[in-house]
Amino acid sequence: MNEESANYLDRTMEALNKPLVKSSVVALISLTMFVLTWWAVAIWANLVYLPAPPDVLDALIRSFMYKDPNMGVNMWHNMYASLQRFILGFLLAFIVAVPLGLVMGFSKIAGLLAKPVVEVFRPIPPIAWVPFFIAVFFYFWGPVMVIFVGVLFPLLSNIYFGVKSVEPILLDAARTQGASRLQMFTKVIFPYTIPFLMTGVRIGMGIGWMCIVAAEMIGGVGGGIGVYIYVQANLGVYANMFAGMIVIAILGLLTTGIMQYFENVTNRRMGIR
Amino acid sequence: MILEIKDLKKSFPKKKGEMVAIADFDLNVEEGEFVCILGPSGCGKTTILRIIAGLEPPTAGNILLNGKEISEPGSDRGMVFQEFALFPWRTVRRNVEFGLELKGVPAEERRARTDRFIELVGLSGFEDYHPYQLSGGMKQRVGIARALANEPQILLMDEPFGALDAQTRNLMQKELLRIWSETKKTVVFITHSVDEAVFLADRIVVMTARPSSIGETYEIKWERPRDRASPEFALLRKKILDQLESMVRIEE
Repeated sequence: MNEESANYLDRTMEALNKPLVKSSVVALISLTMFVLTWWAVAIWANLVYLPAPPDVLDALIRSFMYKDPNMGVNMWHNMYASLQRFILGFLLAFIVAVPLGLVMGFSKIAGLLAKPVVEVFRPIPPIAWVPFFIAVFFYFWGPVMVIFVGVLFPLLSNIYFGVKSVEPILLDAARTQGASRLQMFTKVIFPYTIPFLMTGVRIGMGIGWMCIVAAEMIGGVGGGIGVYIYVQANLGVYANMFAGMIVIAILGLLTTGIMQYFENVTNRRMGIR
Repeated sequence: MILEIKDLKKSFPKKKGEMVAIADFDLNVEEGEFVCILGPSGCGKTTILRIIAGLEPPTAGNILLNGKEISEPGSDRGMVFQEFALFPWRTVRRNVEFGLELKGVPAEERRARTDRFIELVGLSGFEDYHPYQLSGGMKQRVGIARALANEPQILLMDEPFGALDAQTRNLMQKELLRIWSETKKTVVFITHSVDEAVFLADRIVVMTARPSSIGETYEIKWERPRDRASPEFALLRKKILDQLESMVRIEE
């Protein structure tokens, strides 16, 4: 029996030493420590706007199960509203950034023409667009447009940078193989850019999430997690406010996680270790 | 005569006037010949090859391939690069079939033809590997197969083994001679290694220092494989080395 339990221990240690298991265990420990610290501070400070973890968890579960009396919808609905805006804004940015970035990088004239405009617009924080977009596009498309500008620039500059960093020797190789200008683009430049594009997508997604919450909060109506957070804070239901923040965090983690996965798969398929 | 280079000149503009890199360069290459262009670094060897490949325009002079003037890159000349220049996102097979794909050769025929060249360079079984999974020598085998898959009239090799370690380099030289004897291609091979040139070439063309033109030419009619340890190998190598050294001294 002793031997058996020793074996069991060995196997457990072995399992614990696998990189994925190891990092998950560490992540679990770190999160537990964070929640406990939060809990202790909440009890010690005893502030109305810093609820303890159990209250937030309770609020989180309730927010999905019951309609919020002040908004008339539950968290699923708010999630749907935010996700819808996010996806639309993101797709719009993708549709514009990919061809624009490729052309800017490939054609010298297009690059010279577009660059000054891009450089002027890029430093403007997406949030600064909120009042304008809400005024022009109202509460649904307004935040969508904010996400659009938020995602557009990281995506655009990554694609542009990708095209610019194509190794000249690969173009030489393609030319000696008899490639036309169009073929150099489709067979060398475009595939070369894909990993850069994927990085741009991942970075853009992170920025998109930050934009949506801010845009919805400033907009203040029309549903969405940002609206939810804003409404709950105004009402002084701070446990709900934190529940909204946690939903954002989880959705953000999920989307970037999925993108990271796609990025890794693409990189492997593209022959990048 | 498969390749004729007449009065080739290449100069680069400078603030005042021009820097003449290559001047009065004449070279004729016979069908099936293995020619090594040898010269000190910075003498414009690579430039010559790039001009033949059509990647760079000459300032003056003519280059004829089978009597036809060359003005742009084309698949009638296969190029092998020192840095391999493989497409990292393509597998071995997809790298080799690149040129055939550009020409719109149907998939089945592409497969048959790439199979043949992958086998020729000794990479059967590695068809689905990506370049990052291959050693330097294997990468250059892919480079050679890719250049040959287009069935070019001439193979242009720009210090193809320059990035390899000494053992791999020697092995690849032997492999290249085997591939050469099996395909009977005309080869123009750039190197700065005298040893490599004496081991490989039917004819060694030594380039002078800038402005580069052709210095001495050596015909080597010895049987292959050549014995590096043989006295005549050592003698010829020393003779060429001395010549190169004297040029460098003049330059200084």
